[in-house]
Amino acid sequence: MSDQHSGTADGTDTSAATASGTEASDTDTASADAATAGAASQPLLRVEDLQKSYGDETVLRGISFDLDKRDVEVIIGPSGSGKSTMLRCVNRLTEFQGGAIYLDGESVMAMNDNDLRRRVGMVFQDINLFAHLTALQNVTLGLRKVRGMGKEAAREKAMDQLDRVGLASQADSYPAELSGGQKQRVGIARALAMDPELLLFDEPTSALDPELVGEVLEVMRDLAEGGMTMLVVTHEMGFARRAASSLMFLDEGRIVERGPPEQLFDDPEHDRTAEFLQRLTTISEEV
Amino acid sequence: MVLSLASPPALDAVDWVALAQFESGDWAFVREQLPYLARGFVVTLLLTLTSIVLGFLAGFPMGAIEVYGRGPLRSFVYGAGVVLRAIPIVVILVFMFFVAPIPLPGGQFAFDVPRVGSVSFGRSAFLAATVGLGLRSAAYQAQIFRGALQSVSGGQMEAARSVGMSRLQGIRHVVLPQALRRSIPGFQNEFTIVLKDTSIAFAIGLTELFARADNLFTQRTTATLELFLFISLVYFIMTFVTNRSLDYLGDYYAIPGGDR
Amino acid sequence: MSGERSTARTTLARAGEGLPTGRSVGLAIGALFWAWLVVRWVTIWAGYSEPFFPVAFFEGLATGFENDALVMQQNTGALAPVLDFVAGFWFLFSDVASFVAFAVEYLPTLAEGAWLTVVLTVAGIAFGLVIAVPLSVARVYGGVVTRSLALVYIELIRGTPLLAQLFVIYYGLNMSQYFRGVSSGLLPTTAVWVAIVGFTINSAAYQAEYIRSALESVESGQLTAARAIGLSRIDGIRHVVLPQGLRYAIPGWTNELVYLIKYSSLAAFITVVELFESGRDIAGQTFQYLNIYALLALFYLALVLSATLFMGWVEDRVAIPGLGVRDGRE
Ligand SMILES: Nc1ncnc2c1ncn2[C@@H]1O[C@H](COP(=O)(O)OP(=O)(O)O)[C@@H](O)[C@H]1O
Ligand SMILES: [Mg+2]
Repeated sequence: MSDQHSGTADGTDTSAATASGTEASDTDTASADAATAGAASQPLLRVEDLQKSYGDETVLRGISFDLDKRDVEVIIGPSGSGKSTMLRCVNRLTEFQGGAIYLDGESVMAMNDNDLRRRVGMVFQDINLFAHLTALQNVTLGLRKVRGMGKEAAREKAMDQLDRVGLASQADSYPAELSGGQKQRVGIARALAMDPELLLFDEPTSALDPELVGEVLEVMRDLAEGGMTMLVVTHEMGFARRAASSLMFLDEGRIVERGPPEQLFDDPEHDRTAEFLQRLTTISEEV
Repeated sequence: MVLSLASPPALDAVDWVALAQFESGDWAFVREQLPYLARGFVVTLLLTLTSIVLGFLAGFPMGAIEVYGRGPLRSFVYGAGVVLRAIPIVVILVFMFFVAPIPLPGGQFAFDVPRVGSVSFGRSAFLAATVGLGLRSAAYQAQIFRGALQSVSGGQMEAARSVGMSRLQGIRHVVLPQALRRSIPGFQNEFTIVLKDTSIAFAIGLTELFARADNLFTQRTTATLELFLFISLVYFIMTFVTNRSLDYLGDYYAIPGGDR
Repeated sequence: MSGERSTARTTLARAGEGLPTGRSVGLAIGALFWAWLVVRWVTIWAGYSEPFFPVAFFEGLATGFENDALVMQQNTGALAPVLDFVAGFWFLFSDVASFVAFAVEYLPTLAEGAWLTVVLTVAGIAFGLVIAVPLSVARVYGGVVTRSLALVYIELIRGTPLLAQLFVIYYGLNMSQYFRGVSSGLLPTTAVWVAIVGFTINSAAYQAEYIRSALESVESGQLTAARAIGLSRIDGIRHVVLPQGLRYAIPGWTNELVYLIKYSSLAAFITVVELFESGRDIAGQTFQYLNIYALLALFYLALVLSATLFMGWVEDRVAIPGLGVRDGRE
């Protein structure tokens, strides 16, 4: 699994591009320079005082955090707290008004958005498989039209990804012929195929029937163990406990608390965190 | 013109010769003939109304028969609908005028319209056009009502029956009010189609708007473009006004929170 | 199916299924009709326009039946009421035979007209589509300027009669002058070219409307997902939204095809001798209005029903599980 981060020609290309990008962007803020200076420990993702509003409504009020390679950050927070918005700022599916986001030291604002999205994969709550394409074609579309791969090579690579999520046998099924859990696994394979450096998950299991959640979480856990860097919005606390390197509680567009999962679970600093976690666990026990 | 009134100082900046050149002749001809065209416009409006009304009177029961009817009556209505929807309206009109065994009255309809003058047109052509456009429209309106009736869920009928209404009462008080609202968008479409297709009645010599433009065009061939652009504009305004009015009707009768 | 747009299609499609064995019978008749039509076209191009069947034979039949019937009617014996009854049928057979004789005689002329009807329809819908796709994309995804331009075009065309549009370009703009070079020999006349331009302009607006509503019924998440794997907006529209939207637009296209078959008859008024005009010519020569209009009706019915069946077949061919069968799409 880790072979996609190192060794492949693609991986080398990307890091070369990133290095030159960093050199060029010395107009960036001082902290970015500092980050570049300490190249050895440069975070893969740095979010700095991120602010975002829709019209009058401020949704993100200054969010800052770092994410290292191979980290798995789980984000929790009440509905409307800005979790999805934050993820969408990272791959610029939505534009933000204040602060900065750096991917491997390079400001995402300076990047071509298509290149950015090739490097940052996303898995959606409502899955959004391309409804007119088979599972396999869902995965090959990006490889062919974005990466410009040949038909055969794309097919081979896509089959590898489908295999990875356990769906090689369903390659020729259309989305409507797959269960929700299978669809979401194809969604993950589709994102993985682009060899992303970072994967964003926006509540990947919350649209699924309870009995289908497990198979998706299992794939995600495998990814985490394989060293994939992930930013995961989920309320599956079992996953957070086992796979997260860090847990973040977001409320009203601010990070209320962030730390290792055990700490937030067992000894949260804020009452609000405790309260929210308490409610989550009660609900999941009810289910 | 309007511009020069608004800004008199620019008077000498306007190339009056060129403007007069442009203005003279063909547009002026259209303007001269406005009263003549206006009388055609009245005929167009009248024909649209009579056709739509006939289409509704025949189409509404046809739609109901397709949904609730059975046996040979339903087959007949169904077959008639298929045929009427498959044949070009010009063929239907010419057929109604020359072939159909309808007793068409001779002579002219004539009446005075304030500010427009005496409007007159052939009785037989008008009647044939009304029957042709009306029956064809009935076939389409039947489809609209059929679709609307069928789109009211079966649960609504069951609910009506469960409070003790008869089948007929259920249709009358529960299904119909919902179905009629839902047919407004389709009806809107149909209304403008009939409006535009009245122009084809010129093929049977009815002196409505299009035929009058056609007459003028043979009188003065240089004014063709102006004439047909002008009446196109008139048709456009008519369809636009119709659409907006029916939009308004739809909003007015909309059920809060429900779809139309 | 949902929506008024698709009603024509569904009803017509169901015409084939209405009768229990109707579908196969309908298909057989359709196949025969097209086989005859194609052979007829080919022979006409090859220079042979005589009827395939002997007119005189059916005329003979007609007079034979009629004479027999007249003889039967003159009988005054005990069998008179019975013979009178039979005579009624003989008169009917005579009428049918003379209709067939008429049909056989004039089918070649009508086939020639039908060729132009088919040409105008196919060209109108195909060229119209080429314009309609960018128009509808502009309408849904365009900026303020392109969106308004597309809207104005679509509304102006849809708000005015096709007949007026044809008159504007044919008589008003005298567009035939531009087609002199491409109308010699086997090529269509200049009026046909102008009619094609007219139907293209007109059909583009209507198709754009059908495609617009189809595009809008594609969930917005589809484009977002396309963007998320790095496809540009245009590529996302091209590879993800359009393939789905165009499938949703098929019922609209069926309507459009039927519309063009019927309204291509208006080309008659700019001197194109298509099906309706060739029928009018025959009526002018023979004064057999009832016969010729019955024939015309059958011809158009055959064309429209074939178009509907064909589009149903296309819809099945490009069907994708779970796509286009969604409820609640309008
Ligand atoms: N496209 C949008 N336009 C306007 N407001 C939006 C949009 N997307 C989200 N919002 C608002 O931003 C806030 C945060 O939304 P979101 O990030 O989706 O929250 P979460 O994912 O945490 O539930 C909500 O109040 C929501 O109404
Ligand atoms: Mg969300």
